Amino acid sequence: MTQQSRLRRMGWLAVLSLCTVCYLALHLKVHAVQSEVVRSERQIIALANRRMLLETEFETRASQEQLASWNRLDFGYAAPAAGQFVENERQLAKFGTPRGPGAPAPILVAAVTSGEKAPSFANFVSPLGKPVDERLLEPDAAHHDVAERTGATISIPLAAAIGNVRE
Amino acid sequence: MNALTFNAGFAPSRIRLVDIRRRQLLTAQLRMLLLGAGFLFCALLALLRIAWLGVVQPAPAEHSMAQALLPPRGEITDRNGVPLARAFPAYALWYNPDALGDGGSPLVKSPAEVAARLHAVFPDLDVAETTRFLAAGKAGYIRRRVLPEEVNAVNAIGELALETPAEEDRQYPQGRLAAHVLGYVADDGHGRVGMESYLDNRLLDPSERGKPVPLSIDVRVQGALEDELRSGMEAVNAIGAAGIVLDVDSGEVLALASLPEFDPNRIDTQGAKNMFNRATNEVYELGSTFKPITVAAAMDAGVVTDLSKRYPATPLHVDGFTIHDDENLGPTLNVPETLIHSSNIVSAQIADQLGGKRFKRVLEDLGMNERPYIELPARGFPIWHKGDWPRLRTMTVGFGHGIAVTPLHLAAAYSALVNGGIWRPATLLKVKPGDEARGRRVFTEATSARMKQLLRMVAVYGTGRKANAPGFRVGGKTGSAEKAAAGGYDRSQVVATFASAFPMDKPRYVVVVMLDSPQKVAASSYQRTAAWNAVPIVGRLIPRIGPLLGVMPDDNRDIDLSDLKPLVGDGGGNE
Repeated sequence: MTQQSRLRRMGWLAVLSLCTVCYLALHLKVHAVQSEVVRSERQIIALANRRMLLETEFETRASQEQLASWNRLDFGYAAPAAGQFVENERQLAKFGTPRGPGAPAPILVAAVTSGEKAPSFANFVSPLGKPVDERLLEPDAAHHDVAERTGATISIPLAAAIGNVRE
Repeated sequence: MNALTFNAGFAPSRIRLVDIRRRQLLTAQLRMLLLGAGFLFCALLALLRIAWLGVVQPAPAEHSMAQALLPPRGEITDRNGVPLARAFPAYALWYNPDALGDGGSPLVKSPAEVAARLHAVFPDLDVAETTRFLAAGKAGYIRRRVLPEEVNAVNAIGELALETPAEEDRQYPQGRLAAHVLGYVADDGHGRVGMESYLDNRLLDPSERGKPVPLSIDVRVQGALEDELRSGMEAVNAIGAAGIVLDVDSGEVLALASLPEFDPNRIDTQGAKNMFNRATNEVYELGSTFKPITVAAAMDAGVVTDLSKRYPATPLHVDGFTIHDDENLGPTLNVPETLIHSSNIVSAQIADQLGGKRFKRVLEDLGMNERPYIELPARGFPIWHKGDWPRLRTMTVGFGHGIAVTPLHLAAAYSALVNGGIWRPATLLKVKPGDEARGRRVFTEATSARMKQLLRMVAVYGTGRKANAPGFRVGGKTGSAEKAAAGGYDRSQVVATFASAFPMDKPRYVVVVMLDSPQKVAASSYQRTAAWNAVPIVGRLIPRIGPLLGVMPDDNRDIDLSDLKPLVGDGGGNE
């Protein structure tokens, strides 16, 4: 056996072992990914089951029978009457008053400034009876707060009140 | 000699060499053979294994995610996709005394202690009974339904004998709602009573069970119907009640209730008693609610051509039998007055003029000679007389006696009365728009238009006034029939029915409400007739379900009654 052919044989062996190592690495990687996929699938199944459990609990707690009994005891909502529905533009127009002869065209103003006498909005009151936020009990003070901080006029008082809640 | 000697001295070693060589060659060949045989054996084994896998062994079950997510039994939803019945991964609590496997005591702690620990997890558990059960050492369920967090708590007790096997459970999130429509799943895994029974194969089919089955029921309408029906039934101490809301154009049942009902989540002896469906299985003589059908059949046959024609209203004597009204309604009545005041005498005369043959034909077209068309297994057969009807029978059927049908028959007939005259089979499966059953024509369009006016008049001027919800243009007819008892009728027990439709200017839904044996109580002003018990239920129900079903109340719309108004006085009346 010549030196050259021995070298060639060793080269082949090296290539073969490299391929084997690469194959083994790939094989392990594939298995690792596969087991990760299986684990994810199991997680998905467990979550789907959990979701179904929660969904069913919600459905059960909010069943029609339960809602009806809450309504009877606590809320007392009644079915809406004919006066509460507006079916078309004609019915909607019925609520407006016709403009008198010679009256100027109405100007629609969408904004008010804090300095003016702004209309008061309903306070947020929690169903438990306590106010959601103490500051909301005095909307005027809340307006001044915001107005002082921004140093400018505010356009929509309701937005200011909601802004306070978010803080 | 020398050569011989040399030869003799050389030959043995050479021969030995040859011998060794041959032996080695033989060994090598033998080893090669053995190796080859070994390879062949391995290959043969592999081949055999392949053949075994391919031929004998069943394919290994593939546990894919899609299969794990496929419910063991399909889901049932209402028409808007709200789940009504679903498979639910649940656990049970099973006592296995052999779990420790050492032949000694099945529990590590004492039974009383374990029962007390279990009681801490399940507060409604009977401690004494559980202690006895654990001490007896027999395997069995301690509880059939255990939640996952309770399973964790039970495992924390640390008793191997308390096992929590995963079990598939059928959960009805709405509880008792629509119990008669849904039915339940028995321990053998198959449906009983309602749609669970009808859809059993479809719900268990692996290729189809992944997709929920939508029913025609609307859960909100069903909830409102059961709520009003129950309060109405309890207010007058009725023994039972039934209610149906039917779409007149497609035959879809929006709600169907029979009270008292059962809880499909928990079937006990009390629940088993209430499984009888009054809406589709029980047949009743539905009394005066048949009069509009009589009048419509007579109009179609050309017997009633003039609504202002007056009929004598004095008691009729036929074949030794007297037909009379509950009170004196005057000497004569016209057709609108007949319906408003619900006169038996005039209805009998109209049926008589129509004749048994033609009347019977109309009732057959309305499906009253067969079980009602619905998917439920519980369908009652009407009390229906075959052959030619004698004169008296024709006359009594004219006001709803001598024939007994289910409330569903009546609802289907009323939907034909008001939808332009087409009778359609009722269905509990959601119908896609355009896929409605073709149906058959029973009444003419013109007759149907007249009936809409007449039914509306009953609700405006007659016995149905308490159902006249403002803005909903309700029309209908009451009926209070004495219940059949041994040897005649029981005067103290009635079946009170109100069959109605709304909105009458373009009817979309039929509502039938029936009360079985309502009593005379203060809530019904000490009356027993439908006007005082069944009608107010519909009056409260329609405003609740109308907007949900797309019928908005409108005070500016109504069916035109101006041509019939002069024919009746100020209305008012009784059954």
